[in-house]
Amino acid sequence: MAKDIEISNSESKFILEALKLKQRLDGRACDQFRDVEIELGEAYGDVTVTMGKTKVQCRISCEVAQPYEDRPFEGLFHITTETTPMAGAQFENGNNTGEEEVLISRMIEKAVRRSGALDVEGLCIIAGSKCWSLRADVHFLDCDGGLIDASCIAVMTALLHFKKPDVTVLGEKVTVHPVDEREPVSLGVLHVPVCVTFSFFNPDDTEENIKGEHNGEISIIDASLKEELLRDGVLTVTLNKNREVVQVSKAGGLPMDALSLIDCCHKAYGIVEKITDQIQRAIKQDSIARNQYAHILSSENARES
Amino acid sequence: MSRFEIYSPEGLRVDGRRWNELRSFNCSINTHPNAADGSSYLEQGNNKIITLVTGPQEPASRSQVNTKQASLSVTINLTKFAKMERSKSSHKNERRTLEWQTSLVRTFEKNLMLHLYPRTSIDVQVHVLQLDGGILGAMLNGITLALIDAGIAMYDFVSGVSVGLYDTTPLLDLNSLEENAMSSVTIGTVGKSEKLSLLLVEDKVPLDRLESVMAIGIAGTHRIRDLMDKELRKHGKTRVENLTN
Repeated sequence: MAKDIEISNSESKFILEALKLKQRLDGRACDQFRDVEIELGEAYGDVTVTMGKTKVQCRISCEVAQPYEDRPFEGLFHITTETTPMAGAQFENGNNTGEEEVLISRMIEKAVRRSGALDVEGLCIIAGSKCWSLRADVHFLDCDGGLIDASCIAVMTALLHFKKPDVTVLGEKVTVHPVDEREPVSLGVLHVPVCVTFSFFNPDDTEENIKGEHNGEISIIDASLKEELLRDGVLTVTLNKNREVVQVSKAGGLPMDALSLIDCCHKAYGIVEKITDQIQRAIKQDSIARNQYAHILSSENARES
Repeated sequence: MSRFEIYSPEGLRVDGRRWNELRSFNCSINTHPNAADGSSYLEQGNNKIITLVTGPQEPASRSQVNTKQASLSVTINLTKFAKMERSKSSHKNERRTLEWQTSLVRTFEKNLMLHLYPRTSIDVQVHVLQLDGGILGAMLNGITLALIDAGIAMYDFVSGVSVGLYDTTPLLDLNSLEENAMSSVTIGTVGKSEKLSLLLVEDKVPLDRLESVMAIGIAGTHRIRDLMDKELRKHGKTRVENLTN
């Protein structure tokens, strides 16, 4: 069994006392998200996201498969999350049924798959018999908190970046054109959900938290691993740029005032806007870099427009 | 697409309720006095659940002993006959069930005075006999009642309800027909306060509508709290009467 990481009493006290003074170990403000670094790989759909020391890689692959019988017009899309001890000692090898692992994978699944971020109907090749089966493999390479946030960004960037081979359908015959033969096609991404995680700490005793009018709970955005270990409650908000709440999850933990939770959602929106822009920029830069010789190779004549 | 009118222009829902009305809510406690230390039976609309609490008791194995506080565990048994169609799997290791269990444990961990029972374990079993939407909220209510019956120290009631958003109208306490047709929010409130212990939003809700949805939900949970309180007081009264006679 994997050993839970434990934090020494003196260190936990230090972190909590610092938080009461609105100070964090890494010098961030309470509502400051770590800088996100998005790295796009050589292949389509290979993305590595780094947030501080947290590192998540997502790789998308596809194959031709048969659609589900009850949904003949939809392709298949699966997200698998792989937690190995590589990310940290708290994860067990080959065991994905731990509390934390289940919550992480459910959250990503809800944020991306169930919110309909990917147009699965666009994956259909021949209704009822052939479709694309898309698979997103998320690997946690290093964990310093914020795994959900990082993997959501990674999956969404990878979906935007990925291109599937072009197909032509002649009657029942399907031809898949290799990538070097014909320009592959992008996926239909309908919206870009981004997760933002808040962690709550209770500076007073439990009674004050439940009965009091004081609402003195501390909330911080994007906790690091140490802060995650010490927190009393957690809220993950998933939003997209269209001001839609895709998913909110506050599964127990410290009871929080309803208004302060709504306030958190509004704070999250600002961050979501910024990250969405960053994702779009990264994708755009990559496509420019890939097509830098396109204008030389093109046989088209320059036209007056 | 749907044959039903989820919310008619006259303001009526599929089962004839208005937007801010709860489903019928019936509960009783101490239903299984021989099987467990605390038990409850709860009907919230067509949801029917039995909750059993055993503990505080000695943990099954020594490795589970927590010297600081009691360890709480929740097991959900979603019966095969709970839905319209009999399901083949037992839902036991489904991720959804595991997620519910963790959510419930984390909700009650903060609302029970677990530090009063160190080196013990408190085990909660929830048996869902019939499922009709908003089950997580119903489970919160059921567990609260059973824990109270078991006499475990709590700070306050935890009551839960689901709210949906149909176009721009929030609808309180969804049944499964409504739940499939719209996005739903599950809210778990502590006592009569506006403190949320549990908040789950599934499917899209516009950011600016969230506040009104939550307001209705909180009002609903307060109402449920009162209903539970009434039942508990009634139960207490009959017990006292039995003792004095």
